[in-house]
Amino acid sequence: MDLSLLADPVFLLQNLVDGLSRGALYAVYAMGLTLIFGVLDIINLAHAATFMWCAITGWMVMAGLGLPLPAGLLAAMLAGACIALLLEYVAFRPLRREGSDRLSAMISSIGMSLILVSIAEAVFGVETRRFPSSVLSPRPFHLGGLNGVRISPAQILILAASVVLMGTMGYFIRRTRMGKAIRAIAADQKAARLLGIQVDRVIAVTFITAGALAGAAGILVGLLTNNIVPDMGGQIQLRGLAVVILGGMGNMEGAVLGGLILGVVETFSIAYLPGGSDLKDAIVFLILFLILFVRPNGIMGRKSGARA
Amino acid sequence: MSGPRRWLPWAVILPIVGLDLFICVRNPGDLDRLLINMILALSAFVTLHAKLLSLANAGFMAIGAYASAIISVKLGLPIAVSIPAAVLICAAVALVIGLPVLKLKDVYLAICTLGFGEMVRVLIILNPDLTGGSTGANLSTGFPYEAMKQTRTWMLALLLAFLAYLFWAIARSRIGRAFRALRENPQAAATMGIDIVAYRRFAFVLSAMIAGVAGAFYAHSVGSLDNGDFKFNRALDILSYAVLGGSGQWFGSILGGGFLTALPILLREVLGSSIGFLKNFAQLPNIINGLALLLVVIFLPGGLASVFTFRKKRRPGAAAAHAPPERGRPASGTPLLVLDEVSRHFGGLEALSKVGFQVEEGMICGLIGPNGAGKTTLINLVSGLFPPSSGRIVWLGREIQHRPAHRIARAGIARTFQNIQLFRDMTVLDNVIVGRHTHIRTSLLTTLLRLPREGREERSAQGEALALLERLGLAGLAEQQAGNLSYGDQRRVEIARALAQHPRLLLLDEPAAGMNEVETARLGEFILELKQHGTTLLIVEHHMDLIMKICDRIVVLNFGKKIAQGTPALVSRDDQVLEAYLGRD
Repeated sequence: MDLSLLADPVFLLQNLVDGLSRGALYAVYAMGLTLIFGVLDIINLAHAATFMWCAITGWMVMAGLGLPLPAGLLAAMLAGACIALLLEYVAFRPLRREGSDRLSAMISSIGMSLILVSIAEAVFGVETRRFPSSVLSPRPFHLGGLNGVRISPAQILILAASVVLMGTMGYFIRRTRMGKAIRAIAADQKAARLLGIQVDRVIAVTFITAGALAGAAGILVGLLTNNIVPDMGGQIQLRGLAVVILGGMGNMEGAVLGGLILGVVETFSIAYLPGGSDLKDAIVFLILFLILFVRPNGIMGRKSGARA
Repeated sequence: MSGPRRWLPWAVILPIVGLDLFICVRNPGDLDRLLINMILALSAFVTLHAKLLSLANAGFMAIGAYASAIISVKLGLPIAVSIPAAVLICAAVALVIGLPVLKLKDVYLAICTLGFGEMVRVLIILNPDLTGGSTGANLSTGFPYEAMKQTRTWMLALLLAFLAYLFWAIARSRIGRAFRALRENPQAAATMGIDIVAYRRFAFVLSAMIAGVAGAFYAHSVGSLDNGDFKFNRALDILSYAVLGGSGQWFGSILGGGFLTALPILLREVLGSSIGFLKNFAQLPNIINGLALLLVVIFLPGGLASVFTFRKKRRPGAAAAHAPPERGRPASGTPLLVLDEVSRHFGGLEALSKVGFQVEEGMICGLIGPNGAGKTTLINLVSGLFPPSSGRIVWLGREIQHRPAHRIARAGIARTFQNIQLFRDMTVLDNVIVGRHTHIRTSLLTTLLRLPREGREERSAQGEALALLERLGLAGLAEQQAGNLSYGDQRRVEIARALAQHPRLLLLDEPAAGMNEVETARLGEFILELKQHGTTLLIVEHHMDLIMKICDRIVVLNFGKKIAQGTPALVSRDDQVLEAYLGRD
């Protein structure tokens, strides 16, 4: 470890800014994943494929049609909602009817993921696509002079958008009628059905919400890395799962906190460890393994005791 | 399954695999790939069969491939050494990884094994001197590559044949039966004395070894290695072979792997000439795999193998000879089971608080109390489904409160469940034979060598199971699927299954629930008969007539506390008991 770097406050702050914006992306992505887990008790492994398709849709709208950023963001979120709804109808709802186990639902989501990614590769090829600089200037702002902390417009957008999304989600889940219905189903699906909640409709809304979150994450990651490829979901797939576990499966606040922690830890390990960029994947998994073994229910996960 | 649907899938699949074999023969590389994928399919089958959604296969394949490649190229050893060494390395890694990983529940296990696969790749990339790093390892130097080409395919075919034999032999042995039991109902399997953790570990290690040997052959068949070959997608490919094949029967996976490997090759070779874009459609295999996963899970949950079920033919009869061993009248008064200040709470709820009593050898002890009094919790504690929060449970002078369920079962305590826990998809006879699990001592080696001992033990277990069914009036139902039986019959099967364990103490949790008066009376006589034969019983029951008639001692629980204990006559006059049951005016 390079100790002189530790004493450099600008470098530290710079990494904090980079880490938090990276973590905010993980948080937005993981919120959708954990929302579905909370309601259905299954991991939607096609979330990353949804995310990738949204990034491509956003790119088509902005680079292809030349529309401005808000239109691209909206289109991506809309695409996410549509794909997620498709997933619900094709991969999840038929299995709920049969009353089959959780493994089957995971496997069918894996199937959908394979199909979605393959179609993207077949249609768009495997080469990288980039946004035109007219969409969002790549030039960073400097805080505290030229040698100070750099923050790019994409990072500002990410931080602002994720705060808005987190706030909206918090309000939606806690305060609205639909949010209460979602929480009721998460707590006990059978009881919710008996109380007259239209379970299938609420689950559809859950998928739409989760898809829109994947859409936002997709376009924001695309803007940050400026690197849009059909296999871009692979990187965030594992990180999203790590975040969901870190925060406790089904726990929204946990997902936000877990996302930020992972983003910062990952950025710092790249910055401060020799050969860090090679090691960053290893570090993500190490964190994942450690959490699973020390606190299998996540940092903020509820502890479930064995019941008779 | 109706007539036409039985053969339809085969009419589609067999020609495709056959045609593909024909095409592959012209291209040995394709044939190797087909065989390797069939072997990989078996590796995924093993874990799926044990109800483990493991995505570690690609990781173990990578370990096998790189280990064998490095040993043969860098150390210059022949593949007769390098491949077995690679397999052993995989087994060792699986054993170590499995210790913590297999404790995790389904979703966590999937994620963790997925992480493991990526970790392997990271390690490969981080050690370029050994593995060629991200650019890949070239095996063609210093390796008798050409010479092997002829024999490789034969070796693969032989290996697949050996594995098929292995799976066939295991499936029909007690090990296979235990796997079927634990995949249907792990909790009930544990109370039959089956060590679930050990079986899952065995499955995980076997799966890793098979993936490893496939990887080793893969390495020597392609001649150069790239870590990109072992990405997440590879894990998904392997998973889809086994899912298509079905997790119930091993031969399904071989066909699943063959079919999914063959179909894209076929489409390209046969249709590619007429439909131009198929020729260069690189994503075709992935789309087919994805569709296969989706369609099979939704429309054919048992996979290909489920359309093709064999009815095992058994030699009939041979029932009567076996009766449970006479223990003779034991010295009554020997304490068998002692509960000492046993408490159990769930969160804030105290289900049992400082309950203490003892059961002496040869007696029938009744356990009664209003709903929610903690009776079933107590049975669960004694049978080891979960440990008490405090207090001691002593069995034959030894503390057993922290022993897992399967060890308690082996010590001589059997049980039935209030909410029936049969292996629903197995036959009634097989259910009862599972009860004999710990008494059949056939080892894996005996099974593989098909020594006469196995047949002998199986026949005696079967004979005894049939005798038990006869005694319980179920002889006519032996070949029925347990899940299809009526409620009362299912209860009796559970009792037969528990008796097959030859328990010293039998815990019956509401055995008469759902039975009418005649059936209840007959059950009472049967229980007394068991006592005559030397079995000690602890019975939870709501039928007061039955309890009063057969019990030597009754323990009364209310809100988790013992409120009375004594002979039936004494208990039925107890003020507190009357109050608990009838309420106070």
